Amino acid sequence: MKKQSKTVPFRFKECSLLPISTGIRAQTLRELRSAIPEIPESSLYYHFWGRMLRPHIPESEFNNDFASWADSGLGDLELAEELSAINPVKSQNLEELRSILEDILEARLEAGDFISWKKADREFYFIACKKFMFDTGRQTESLEDFPVAVKTSSRQSFFHHFMDGRRRSPEGKDDFSLWLEQFGESTEDVRARLSRVDSYLFSLGELKGQIVTLLEKGLGKGGTK
Amino acid sequence: MSDILKKYGEVIGFHAMDSLLAIAERLEGKKIVHINSTKEGGGVAEILSSMVPLSQELGLDVAWEVIEGDEPFFNCTKTLHNSLQGMAGGLSESQAGAYMETNRKNAERLKDVLESADYVFIHDPQPAALLGLFPKRKGKWIWRCHIDVSSPNRSVWRFVKKQVEGYDASIFSLPDFAQNLPHPQYLITPSIDPLSEKNRPLTKNEVLKTYEELGIGRDKPVILQVSRFDRFKDPLGVIESYRLARDHVDIRLVLAGGGATDDPESGEVLSAVKEAAAGDPDISILLLPADAHRTINALQAGADVVMQKSTKEGFGLTVTEAMWKKKPVVGGDVGGIRLQVINRFNGFRVRSPEGAAIRIRYLLTHRWKRERMGVNARQYVLENFLITGQLRNYLSLLVSLDGNEGEWEPWI
Repeated sequence: MKKQSKTVPFRFKECSLLPISTGIRAQTLRELRSAIPEIPESSLYYHFWGRMLRPHIPESEFNNDFASWADSGLGDLELAEELSAINPVKSQNLEELRSILEDILEARLEAGDFISWKKADREFYFIACKKFMFDTGRQTESLEDFPVAVKTSSRQSFFHHFMDGRRRSPEGKDDFSLWLEQFGESTEDVRARLSRVDSYLFSLGELKGQIVTLLEKGLGKGGTK
Repeated sequence: MSDILKKYGEVIGFHAMDSLLAIAERLEGKKIVHINSTKEGGGVAEILSSMVPLSQELGLDVAWEVIEGDEPFFNCTKTLHNSLQGMAGGLSESQAGAYMETNRKNAERLKDVLESADYVFIHDPQPAALLGLFPKRKGKWIWRCHIDVSSPNRSVWRFVKKQVEGYDASIFSLPDFAQNLPHPQYLITPSIDPLSEKNRPLTKNEVLKTYEELGIGRDKPVILQVSRFDRFKDPLGVIESYRLARDHVDIRLVLAGGGATDDPESGEVLSAVKEAAAGDPDISILLLPADAHRTINALQAGADVVMQKSTKEGFGLTVTEAMWKKKPVVGGDVGGIRLQVINRFNGFRVRSPEGAAIRIRYLLTHRWKRERMGVNARQYVLENFLITGQLRNYLSLLVSLDGNEGEWEPWI
């Protein structure tokens, strides 16, 4: 008799993110560009991902701190748009992300106009961080219970599995999708939908709401294909 | 989970409470001590009066000690406080002497507690010199600076720097406040306690009764500022804003505050405020005792617009409290108010009495927007500025001091 394979449970983990001052700041685009090679990797992480866990409003137009500063500090909307187009998940690692950022800033400086020396209205503070990850001890095995388990998880847990999961996975997949893979075809549709969610244009709360709705529709009672 | 933890769980979610417990477990058996300069009055004392019992509920061994000082000491620390916020002048030799002497006396008194502690949080500059008096300390010491030190008086900062550079870490509320120090400087915002007497939900009747008892009529919209009578809170600027706005909208102004035992200047500022308000029946100046938490709660809950027109502000917990009660805030464009008040989302940041007046008028004439901003304000506090979140950050910091050096994303 063929032995039925056992479902691997989804274990809820989460993270705590502690911002740390680097003491490095920039008031012009040139200063910002000069600082990029010096800042630690955790600072790149903080300015691209960490903003989701700190006070920010859903209406933030740009998806990383560099783009926000280019717009509201320097008043350079074009540069802000270009920086905002960076999809950090597509970078293999933080060093590649650093190079992309450097290239965009360098190209803007090469234009040689007044933006290279314009003093911004507010300084850009480079912030590094320490991120602690830990197992919460909670787990779920059933597809039916999964949406509720995600819904009741903490903000930090949701961030860890969805936003940060996409960064950690070499294929850019979130932890929920990776876990759902074991159920094969029956979760194919919901996984495809998860992969299409744009995670950078919402607050964490809004994003969580979207993902929970998506899971409820796709995995709820009789919802799987 | 204890009943108290369950109550917090009802506000922030039970799994978020489980996570807090999970982090606290990693500090089991460790002794944590907080030291500040006053048991009541001001944001630091309020945070500690919530944080210490909450930490104990989580099973942690936490103590809170207050340094004892005399008048010359508190005059000196007020000068320190003002100068660190940029005011001209410096410490005289006798003031520096009083400061060191008081720290020495307190070091003797607290010797056993501090020598045996695994972690010591020293709040603000007043007790900062204690570190140098414990060369054989076994624990990690953290200096928690609650003040806006973005542009300090340099000579006074040099004096404070000497006291704090030996700490294992420091904590500032904003990146703008961080200084050149030889240890990690963490950025953690302060918070409010949603279950405290100052922030728990009140009934409409309780609110109305408080206004009635204080003799404040509800026939006109109420503009409120709650804060110590401190020049950096700009109470005179608030009166000016009220007078400018009153030409267009019929309003009342309530300035409510109390003194703190470590603030010798409040009497002087209060006299100036009384003089500026003299003869105006629509201005109420309330000098409240340090434990008038429920009264402040009711005042905030019943106000139409809350102001915090500070010219310097470490964080501005009165802003957080008002936002928690769904009030849009008109606040000074400084310090921690910048982090809390987002223009048009949950209030307005202003740089002048004229700016404040126009925002007051706008909010009072756009009821729907005022209510919408109030809802946003509460959600913003729920997600970012509650005591449970601050404690989680403090505990994570302590865990971080115990290892994983060099690694920025460790598993614990």
